[in-house]
Amino acid sequence: MAKGIYNWIDERLDITPMWRDVADHEVPEHVNPAHHFSAFVYCFGGLTFFITVIQILSGMFLTMYYVPDIINAYASVEFLQTKVAFGQIVRGMHHWGASLVIVMLFLHTLRVFFTGSYKAPREMNWVVGVLILFVMLGLGFTGYLLPWDNKAYFATKVGLQIADSVPVIGPYVKEFLQGGTIVGAQTLSRFFALHVFFLPAVLLALLGGHFFMIRKQGISGPL
Amino acid sequence: MAHGHNSKEKVVYVGDSRIRQRSERATPPDYTAYPGKSEAFIPNFLLKEWMVGCVMLVGFLVLTISEPAPLGYPADPTNAAFIPVPDWYFLFLYQLLKMPYASGDYVVLGIVGLPGVLFGALLLAPFLDTGKERRFYRRPIASAMMFISLIGVVYLTVTSWAGYQEELKLTGTTPEHIVREEEARDRALAGLPKESKVKKEAEIALVAPDDPAMESMKVATCLGCHGTDLKGQSGPSLRGIGDTLSEEQIMDVIKNGKQGAKGNMPPMYDSAKTQGLSDEQINGIAAWLAKQKKAE
Amino acid sequence: MSNHNEHEKQGNERKEMSRRQFLAYTLGGTTAFMAGGVTLPMIRFAVNPLLEKKDKGALIKVVEESKITNEPQEFSFQKHQVDGWYESEAKLSAYISKGEDGKIFALSPICQHLGCTIGWNSDKNYPNEYHCPCHGAHYTKDGKNLAVAPRPLKEYEMEIKNGFIYLGDLMDNTRVK
Repeated sequence: MAKGIYNWIDERLDITPMWRDVADHEVPEHVNPAHHFSAFVYCFGGLTFFITVIQILSGMFLTMYYVPDIINAYASVEFLQTKVAFGQIVRGMHHWGASLVIVMLFLHTLRVFFTGSYKAPREMNWVVGVLILFVMLGLGFTGYLLPWDNKAYFATKVGLQIADSVPVIGPYVKEFLQGGTIVGAQTLSRFFALHVFFLPAVLLALLGGHFFMIRKQGISGPL
Repeated sequence: MAHGHNSKEKVVYVGDSRIRQRSERATPPDYTAYPGKSEAFIPNFLLKEWMVGCVMLVGFLVLTISEPAPLGYPADPTNAAFIPVPDWYFLFLYQLLKMPYASGDYVVLGIVGLPGVLFGALLLAPFLDTGKERRFYRRPIASAMMFISLIGVVYLTVTSWAGYQEELKLTGTTPEHIVREEEARDRALAGLPKESKVKKEAEIALVAPDDPAMESMKVATCLGCHGTDLKGQSGPSLRGIGDTLSEEQIMDVIKNGKQGAKGNMPPMYDSAKTQGLSDEQINGIAAWLAKQKKAE
Repeated sequence: MSNHNEHEKQGNERKEMSRRQFLAYTLGGTTAFMAGGVTLPMIRFAVNPLLEKKDKGALIKVVEESKITNEPQEFSFQKHQVDGWYESEAKLSAYISKGEDGKIFALSPICQHLGCTIGWNSDKNYPNEYHCPCHGAHYTKDGKNLAVAPRPLKEYEMEIKNGFIYLGDLMDNTRVK
């Protein structure tokens, strides 16, 4: 049955080559932990992606309850954490996943750096990867404010103060991020938009580029 | 598919589309004959990768179940005692800005100079380190710079965290989310229901609710718009009205009406008279409403 | 059709599972485990409103029994409503009257056609009936649907204690079918 449906679609759209290309590509021995245990360092990139997927999913589910509004934000987070079944776990996934994704990204970056994998012809992929790191840090910063508790509020104030002291553009950046002259209702709504729409969109585009380049160039050879 | 047999000789398309009709099934390549031990991504390699993924996932789930995500008390901008601390991965930057040559007059160096140069160098690493050599011990400059940055970041993070702990000890504060968790645990042990930390806006109570003015207001049809509980319906709430309007001003509104945010209130004085209220009773309404002040 | 025969031949030659197939199945299982481990808590989280125990609404004191006449009268009352993190006093109203049988009953003023608010004797063409201004649905005093609406008016659960009428949740009309 499933095979029949697949064949029917395949005949019309010729989808087999698309996934075959991904599925059948050759993975060299030196990245396979089954051959050299030390090759586990090559797993960090994949793990980063796996946690990113968890982040996207848990974030999507959290917005089923969360409201980005200074009166209700805290109440809704408290509600989903304490009153909704598995709310503590789903929010926990998003909270701890945010830290873990940074850890994994960090390890992945170090692996790529110390194996010299960023060298020609893979310079562009390194640049894209570092941009992904920046976007992740941006996601961490904007996400921190959303529960609207004291920690969120004051850490964001400090963060924006830091942005403010950048010469020339600082005050403008601060006011743009704040959406006004104080950290308040408009800041929360802005941070929510950045955290949920803008930065993830950029992240997905960069990830697409990252994977495309990996497939095109292959994994860097053994040292 | 009558023309299927010719597919080897010339390209045949499906219908009038641009999809080529294939007759052979795609066979997965077999890498076992290759020198070295390369393998196909699916299923061979991905299975191994996902074994690692499973181990991490189990650890991750254990963490999320055992350690709830922290949540403090609702943000209160007037809370001066709160010691702000960013998420741990920003601590190094936070600490850097406390260093003598990165703050005060040198703040530009601290914010743009050092982090800018470091992150810029990270971003442009492939263009700075252009040699062919890949092994890290054969490119001492790049590796040394990375090691120094790493040590610096770790040092700053650790000092920042230690400083935060020190400050907590000095001021004798426990972070809110921990206070909250302990409180929740105590309540759970005592069999009490979960408690919300959301501050409820106190409802403004009626002052002297048994005053005859309430009855007069019913007769004068005030309650039709302002609500039987004076909390407002099509007209605004009158609870706490004494905080904004004096007795004379209220009387003025009764006599002349008002253009308010919720719509226009017509002059009610004459209509109240026709309903049989005396001037005294109407004055009573104004006096009573002027007494409606928010309890301190 | 030649490829079909070829495939069949291959299938006959090898009956037992190939190494590749075994790996593919294991990979499928692992994938299912990982996907399940990640998404099951989230799905339970999302469907929570469906599985939550709905507590029966408390009965609310509305009006003295002595005020009820054969003519339906509208009474409004407030109900404390907890909607997730939002608590409010919902304003509800009911038409309460004595039926032919002398029993007191309370009807909801929500039209069962499309949810507009009906009124008693509000249209001259339908004397002594509930009439809905939106699409002309009208109901008898007992709430029986006479036109447009597919169901009779809902009734409030009711209790009379110490001369006061208490109203609870909405239920299907018990006076008419």
